Amino acid sequence: MSDRFTAQLSAYIDGELDDLSRARLESHLAECLDCTRTVAELRAIVAAAPDYRGREPSRDLWNDIERRLDEPEVVPINPSRPAVQPSSRPVAQPSSRPPMQPSRHRFGWRELIAASIVMAAVGGGAVWVALDGTVREVPTAAAPAPITAEQQNVEFADREYDAAIQDLELLLARGQNRLDSATIRTIEQSLSKIDEAITEARAAVQRDPANAYLSRQIAANMRRKLNLLRVATQAIAART
Amino acid sequence: MTQADLDRDDVQLASAGDHDAFERLYRRHVARVTSLARWLLDAGEADDAVQEVFIRVWQKLHTFAGQSAFGTWLHRVAVNLLLRRRQSLGSSRRRQVNDEVQMLAAAGASERPDLRVAIERAVDLLPAGAREVFVLHDMEGYKHDEIAEMLAVDPGTSRSQLHRARLLLRQQLAT
Repeated sequence: MSDRFTAQLSAYIDGELDDLSRARLESHLAECLDCTRTVAELRAIVAAAPDYRGREPSRDLWNDIERRLDEPEVVPINPSRPAVQPSSRPVAQPSSRPPMQPSRHRFGWRELIAASIVMAAVGGGAVWVALDGTVREVPTAAAPAPITAEQQNVEFADREYDAAIQDLELLLARGQNRLDSATIRTIEQSLSKIDEAITEARAAVQRDPANAYLSRQIAANMRRKLNLLRVATQAIAART
Repeated sequence: MTQADLDRDDVQLASAGDHDAFERLYRRHVARVTSLARWLLDAGEADDAVQEVFIRVWQKLHTFAGQSAFGTWLHRVAVNLLLRRRQSLGSSRRRQVNDEVQMLAAAGASERPDLRVAIERAVDLLPAGAREVFVLHDMEGYKHDEIAEMLAVDPGTSRSQLHRARLLLRQQLAT
């Protein structure tokens, strides 16, 4: 086997060698059993490769996709508000998630609804995603300044979001004895995964603050967390 | 009626907000997008990434001019999004062989040709750059110039990564 010819084998298989190089290689192949065998094996790999296309997802994703089709496309910043540094926010560590503890505070549905309102800033206005899933636009007094590409950071309404999450978690802790242990375990595992995704995306945003895709990832995961908690607390309410 | 005809009609309907038409597009193309996501990302991220791809496609449908087949356009959107996701979330780290994939491969070994199972395992073990090029070139049929543009590398780099991938696969299959 010759390194000189080995380096040309892929190009030969793909028909990318010029006439002279191809003729030289074919002369070599006529004498070199190793290279001939290598060509045959590489051809087998290349020929089999397209067969790996086409794989159904692990579950039917359509319902999840359809639910999200009409969501707002981007959650950009409100330039009139000061930017929030991701690092300034305490980040939940999946491995250190405290066990759900009951709270002394009593929540009714009114408080729950109020607590689970999350504001996602959209341009200069705002969208309030309420517990029932409805989206309401909130008008602003003044038109916002145009958003530049550099400003494609997301500013989330952290205080509102954190308060909603905290209250829902407390409510879940209070009512978790109404759910079976497998369900609680599933919820905790899901929350950990979501927290992990948010943490990872926030870290990535710190490295690439102008990346709107990452901001959407954070927003999407925050929505998932809120929705998961919402569903869990609704399940508890249904058993009350 | 060909798939391209069906796609064209459904794209028109979906562009006007028809969810049913978009579901038909999803069902006709989800397998190919899923396998692409599966090869370019961790198996655990694939489903979520596929959802993101179709939501992005829905949002961008109005920009599809119909100059190429919808499947081609969709695939390009998917590749770009998956590569960006991979880069953004630090997936360029060497991917671990996923237990689930190994189990599936082992479970299906009796029904599928040995070479297929072996190659699937071997592709999982390829270094990230070599795997990307192998997936895009040998599996998906992109040319080196196109891959170079997608990955922001020189076409020569794409060629050398492909050759490296094939030789590594051959080496792993021989062991």
